[in-house]
Amino acid sequence: MVNLIKHFKVVVLATALAAGGTVASAQDKEPIRFGLCFDLSKSYTFISPQVAQAAQDLAMYTNENGGIKGHPVELIVRDHSNEPQRGVECYEQLKREGVFIFNFLSTPVTNAVLPRAMKDGNILMQSFVGRGDAVDGTVFEWVFPVGPTYWQQAANDVAFIKNQMGGDLNGAKIGFIYLDYPFGQEPIEILKTLSEKEGFDLELYPVPLPGSDQSGSWSKIRRDKPDYVISWLLAGGHVVASKEMRRNGFPIDRYLSVNWLNEVDIANIGEETAKGILRGTNVAGGQEVPMVKTLLDTYYAKGEGSGPESLVRDVYYNTGLAIYSVGFEAARIAIEENGWPLTPESMKAGYESIKNFDANGLMAPVTVTPKDHGGGGKTRVEQWNGTTWVPLTDWSADYLDVVWEVIEESSKTFSVE
Amino acid sequence: MFYRLSGVRHADYVSDSRIYKVPTDRNLAVFFLIIGLAAPFIIPSLYLNSYMLPWLIWTAAALGLNLVTGWAGQLHLGYAAVMAVGAYSAIHAARFGVPWEFALIIGGLASSVIGSLFAFAALRVKGLYLAITTLAMQFVMDWVLSHSPTISGGSHASLQSPTLTLLGQEITSDRAYYYVAFGWCVLVTIFMLNLKRTGLGRALVAVREKDYAAAILGVNSFYYKILAFATSSFIAGISGAILVATFFFLAAPEQFSVNVSIQVLAMVIVGGLSSIIGSYFGVALILLVPGVVNTVVASVSQWLGMQVNVETLAHIPNAVYGALIVVVLLIEPLGLGKLYGNVRDYLMVWPFDQLRK
Repeated sequence: MVNLIKHFKVVVLATALAAGGTVASAQDKEPIRFGLCFDLSKSYTFISPQVAQAAQDLAMYTNENGGIKGHPVELIVRDHSNEPQRGVECYEQLKREGVFIFNFLSTPVTNAVLPRAMKDGNILMQSFVGRGDAVDGTVFEWVFPVGPTYWQQAANDVAFIKNQMGGDLNGAKIGFIYLDYPFGQEPIEILKTLSEKEGFDLELYPVPLPGSDQSGSWSKIRRDKPDYVISWLLAGGHVVASKEMRRNGFPIDRYLSVNWLNEVDIANIGEETAKGILRGTNVAGGQEVPMVKTLLDTYYAKGEGSGPESLVRDVYYNTGLAIYSVGFEAARIAIEENGWPLTPESMKAGYESIKNFDANGLMAPVTVTPKDHGGGGKTRVEQWNGTTWVPLTDWSADYLDVVWEVIEESSKTFSVE
Repeated sequence: MFYRLSGVRHADYVSDSRIYKVPTDRNLAVFFLIIGLAAPFIIPSLYLNSYMLPWLIWTAAALGLNLVTGWAGQLHLGYAAVMAVGAYSAIHAARFGVPWEFALIIGGLASSVIGSLFAFAALRVKGLYLAITTLAMQFVMDWVLSHSPTISGGSHASLQSPTLTLLGQEITSDRAYYYVAFGWCVLVTIFMLNLKRTGLGRALVAVREKDYAAAILGVNSFYYKILAFATSSFIAGISGAILVATFFFLAAPEQFSVNVSIQVLAMVIVGGLSSIIGSYFGVALILLVPGVVNTVVASVSQWLGMQVNVETLAHIPNAVYGALIVVVLLIEPLGLGKLYGNVRDYLMVWPFDQLRK
């Protein structure tokens, strides 16, 4: 209450001064505004708080160090509860307030907004969500899904396994366990193509939503004895899988997860039990990354972070930092090249000029081009060693030709009339 | 006084079966019709295309569900699936080159056929058993959509809708979208208003109250139930198609998932079963209030300069919204439509009822 009163006093004082025209603002330049319409209350809550917090911390740090070319960053965070209708409402509202850089962090909502953003010519950041073929910049001019597509991730996983098995996959057997809906089904086509190309056997193990019943799949895995299992499961699905692996005697260090596996899942599996579990990722895990370390020292050591420190100790926080450091870098290049005011066109050009940007070791280096809005799709495989993530390989992207064939085949069916 | 009854006499059956027996009701309806027609010129475009437009389309859809649940008394938990059938059929037809006018009708008919086919099997059971069977239809439809790329359209199962063209006019502006939705909603409302004064409407009510009593009176309850399902599915199909063509611009399975079915049912129940004006209110409460409360909470906290965690901020509106539904149903279990009815009844004789006291 005291705070509130104090605040009112400040407001009253500020208004009085502003009326007198004597206020000199510390940052008198116009802000760069990012719209974050996130699902903070329904299905995506396993990731959205971490990403929002990372974005806020990064914006705070940027603003305290002179902003982007002198312009402060302003983040507008709203909740859309994963409902397409409310996502559209959020988009339309922020659009009228002058925001032209959006992120919805939800596949259904991004899908619903995409036609509008394409028509209006507004920047849509959609790393890790939405349709995979949106990396094709010739078709999806305004969409920037910087990061690997699920197709590219699966291809990189196969390349990793090939490497582990001495460079030859002939006669090898790779299992693919996935949630039986579009998210999990997406890599199947690419895996089939690669199994023909590389000569390995592909076994599919669909798991019904929400992934809590996997006993049938794993007893089949016990009979099939695949060399590796690639997993497209989410959150609790990994925990169930780990129990089934123990029951069926499948070694956990042969379990290669999609990027959606974080410290919360590890804690639920048990930090010791999870030792050896593999994860393909485009973002370095752990707190030894320079950027995370800086934010921890600058803010969290003093208790001034944008949220609880526990959320920082989570790979999805690093993911959020990666998404927004790319966005801020694009804005920086845009202002440097084309000056103020920042427009959707200059922001797009800024994105498309990003070269070999890795945010000081935070993520795989990305090079965004007018053709490839995904930035190259590099990932690496990291292993949980009981306390943190240890990288096993270097950043790389493999089978690019096969992946791009699938991307182009799919993107050409999209058309905005 | 406000709903004046003096001078209103019904001397014959035609007069007694009018839609509006009280002139004030008719005048109010005309007033709102004019407001609706003028809306694009008096309402800012943000509210027009992200509040009014979805509100009208969902009201049309909710009225369709009200037909089967409110009038015929059959609980339906798979309504969104029927909407999906209409949306996907219409878009596929339009992509194939069929003119939109026919594509919409094809969507409606496809929904009607699939909806009544399901009803044919489902209506062998009643009440809660029927509810579960319709829920099964929802799951079957979800499965079909996520497992057949030819229907749901390629990457991440999203199907782009071609530009809506009606009567030779390309519909691309916010105003035009609004008028399409408005026109459809008015059509459905007129149909529903007339329903209660036809033999069909009376038969449906008889079936709802007690189906074997209706059978004794010579009303074939099975036939009328199927008819109710077919009609409501037709409305659902076209509403689904219009929703995609004028609001989402592409169809994705999540837009018609099971929680959407539950939401439409909530709209009908909160609005009031077999109440037309209630459906308008119910849709407003279920569809629009979360967004409005969210904006209000966000701006209040911004105005006070409170450092509230974004997650907390997202959950407050949900709590407020949930409480609002409970409060409405506690005050008037028959829904928002009845709440309006109470006010109307009170004003009908006001202030003369005060004389007695």
